Amino acid sequence: MANDILVVDNLSKSFDGAPVFNNVSFSIAEGELSSIIGPNGAGKTTMFNLITGHLIPDEGRILFKGKNIAGMQPFDIVRLGMARAFQRTNIFPRMTVLENLVATIISKQRLTLNILTPFKSLKRIHQRSFEILESVGLADMAHRVSGTLAHGSQKILDIAVALALEPKLLLLDEPTAGMSPEERKQTVDLVADLWEKLNITMLFIEHDMDIVFGISQKIRVLCYKTILAEGTPDEISSNHKVIEAYLGEEV
Amino acid sequence: MSIIAPEPGIDMQNQLENTTAHKTNWVIGGIVLVLLVLLPFILQTQGRTGEFWIWVTTEMLITALFSMSLNLILGYGGMVSFGHAAYFGTGAYTVALLMKKAHWPLFLALPAAPIAAGIMAALIGWFCVRRIGLYFAILTLAFSQLLYMVVLQWYNFTGGDDGIHGIVRPEFLTPINYYLFCLAIFVLCFIFMRMIVNSSFGLTIRTIRENMERATFIGINVRRLQWINFIIAGAFAGIAGGLLAELNRFSQTEYLHWSRSAEPILASLVGGMYSLVGPAIGSAFLIFLKIILQQLHRSLVEVWAIILGCILLIMVLFLPDGLVGLYSRIFKKNVS
Amino acid sequence: MTYQQLIFLFVNGLSQGMLLFIIASGLSLVFGVLRVINFAHGSIYMLGAFTAYSVSTLLTTESFFHYLILLLVVPPIIAIVGFFLETLLFRRVYTQEHLIQLLLTYALVLIIDDVVRVIWGGDFRNVARPDLLAGSVDLLGMALPTYNVFILIVGPIIAISLWFLLYRTRVGNIIRAAVTYPDTLGALGVNVSWVMTSTFMLGCWLAGLGGVLMASLANIDLGMGMEKIIESFAVVVIGGLGSIGGALLGSLIIGLGVTFFQLPFGRWALLFPYFIMALVLVVRPWGLFGKPER
Repeated sequence: MANDILVVDNLSKSFDGAPVFNNVSFSIAEGELSSIIGPNGAGKTTMFNLITGHLIPDEGRILFKGKNIAGMQPFDIVRLGMARAFQRTNIFPRMTVLENLVATIISKQRLTLNILTPFKSLKRIHQRSFEILESVGLADMAHRVSGTLAHGSQKILDIAVALALEPKLLLLDEPTAGMSPEERKQTVDLVADLWEKLNITMLFIEHDMDIVFGISQKIRVLCYKTILAEGTPDEISSNHKVIEAYLGEEV
Repeated sequence: MSIIAPEPGIDMQNQLENTTAHKTNWVIGGIVLVLLVLLPFILQTQGRTGEFWIWVTTEMLITALFSMSLNLILGYGGMVSFGHAAYFGTGAYTVALLMKKAHWPLFLALPAAPIAAGIMAALIGWFCVRRIGLYFAILTLAFSQLLYMVVLQWYNFTGGDDGIHGIVRPEFLTPINYYLFCLAIFVLCFIFMRMIVNSSFGLTIRTIRENMERATFIGINVRRLQWINFIIAGAFAGIAGGLLAELNRFSQTEYLHWSRSAEPILASLVGGMYSLVGPAIGSAFLIFLKIILQQLHRSLVEVWAIILGCILLIMVLFLPDGLVGLYSRIFKKNVS
Repeated sequence: MTYQQLIFLFVNGLSQGMLLFIIASGLSLVFGVLRVINFAHGSIYMLGAFTAYSVSTLLTTESFFHYLILLLVVPPIIAIVGFFLETLLFRRVYTQEHLIQLLLTYALVLIIDDVVRVIWGGDFRNVARPDLLAGSVDLLGMALPTYNVFILIVGPIIAISLWFLLYRTRVGNIIRAAVTYPDTLGALGVNVSWVMTSTFMLGCWLAGLGGVLMASLANIDLGMGMEKIIESFAVVVIGGLGSIGGALLGSLIIGLGVTFFQLPFGRWALLFPYFIMALVLVVRPWGLFGKPER
């Protein structure tokens, strides 16, 4: 469809002969806030790794904005407008919070080969970085070394770094993993808030079902090497296949 | 004022936030530079020992430049190269061959050194950055050894084991003038490297060191940037090699030997990898140490590699942040 | 070139390859379990060769019996050196970043190489072949050096023993598990540090054995360690780190390649390992047995 920003088409992947996905297909409409759920080991993060180019699919196509990105280099995919935040915090730990963002925007604006201008003199980029930090509530920590921040703040920074890329599609891998209930709520509110303000497409993986059913417009259940079900939160919560799969896993 | 609390020795640019510290750095730098300019004139009054020390300090400047060039990839880029001597040697042989065989003057041959070394680094680096991490270290060593063997075998062109001797020294370059010449080049290179480190490119290189995976996912072509950094580092090493060839007036295979690659690594570790001047201080310290040991007992120089190895062991096991790190640890400066 | 020359070269190249395998498999094995590339592995091999030389000067005759003593005594001596290296030094850096580990082994290269130079000096040396292995054997009407044939027998024995050890014994299961799941072993009640120490000792034993065999194959000198470590690196670039089968294939390719390239290229054939390494990097950067990864 024309307004699908991401189309996963008949994707297959196996590791050492053991299939992880068999002919998985789904598509994500532009502007959607949706989630992928599934039991442990269902391959949610692997799916993200395939979409972002970290892994190469064995078969199938991944269309991003109509372009097949399967097999492309991750950094090229990023440049097309896809960004990602990680499950384990994935920041530049020995750089300041501000530098984390400045470096990201420098990359976004393709200034990485500029060896003559001091990066500190890039006023606009610094300004923009501060704006982003303000929008996620990290502005007063801008000059802290990012590795010394609390875990929750580091995860927020990870998201801020992804936002600095001004993506069309943002993938969030368990944005609230390892957070306290309070931080969780803040993060979820932040994500929902950003989605509304920035008008971008978001896809996230999450374990906390309250969060998933609270904010997703659409939920996809990844199980048995394929997409088991797809629909609105109401449809998913009444889908007996899903209930079975989840009960089967938890018993 | 927010609290800046980095790990020891890592605080490269953050200090500059603090303008007073910034000014102090410039003042100290200026004083050191003045002292370095005056040094040979003071040494000159000391007769023959003075002459010896002028030679030593010239060599210190050259090896300091060599060490700093390695640190662009080691400390800032996080890439362990065990073959940096390849580019040092390429620079030395470029100057030696051009002056001896093509009869180029020094002022033309010397600029050719970083170009040749940069090309060599581009060729070798292209292979090396295809495999990162452990393999990168392996490949740098292997290809530098390849170059060493080619130079050793290609007797007609490189003089093999004998090397190339009798490089001409322009008359106006007395030992003092050559020292000042090297100092000028050193300062220029220092300023240039400082620009690189503080530039967008420098910041990007640091992101790669910090977290290669994340760097890729903010859209950085990691391999390409590492390659460029490798070439820049190689070119600076080439300048150092060219200067040493002219200082000693010969070029020999020892300049390409793997043990020469060890010295800048050690200097960077001793002086601190996460600063620009650290490796320069480290290499000056190591040369001092070598001479002091020589004064103590001749046989101590015979086992110089053992001593270097033991220093390296101690640094690795106990002081991975270098002497600068030790300093900040003792004085509780910048410690988180 | 005659048929006989071809066979002769083939046997020569194979024995060089087997010798390289004995050394490179040690490097690969140590990497598999300890996750450390031991740059000093070549130096340890050189230490083995020179130790063999010293021990041989104590044994006055050139009987096969004395050679057997050499083969049985020297590798364990080197393994004991390995014991001390592992327990005193390597153990401290397992949790450190790669940079620190590499620099540690590099420091050992500096130290061991210079210790060898101080003790034995820079002259070429060799250990006389024992009388039983000194001559040549007739094979299909050709006279092949007995010593090369001997190495051709020892190499496969080592390869099969390693395979047996790794795949058919409990110790091997533990070692292979340590390669694949380094974190879970401790939980299973296996003494992981013991596994690491003994693997490292085994690696050094192999390096020592390679040294002894080399000392009678060709002249030994101070450059031998660096030469073999780089050939071993080429082997692991070709075959992949941690794989014994890959190490065997890589070693044979390099051993045969260097020997055959000597015909047209003379001494330049020594560059063969570098070219094959570069070639593999261009064609299959992840090694012949590895899988593409990002």
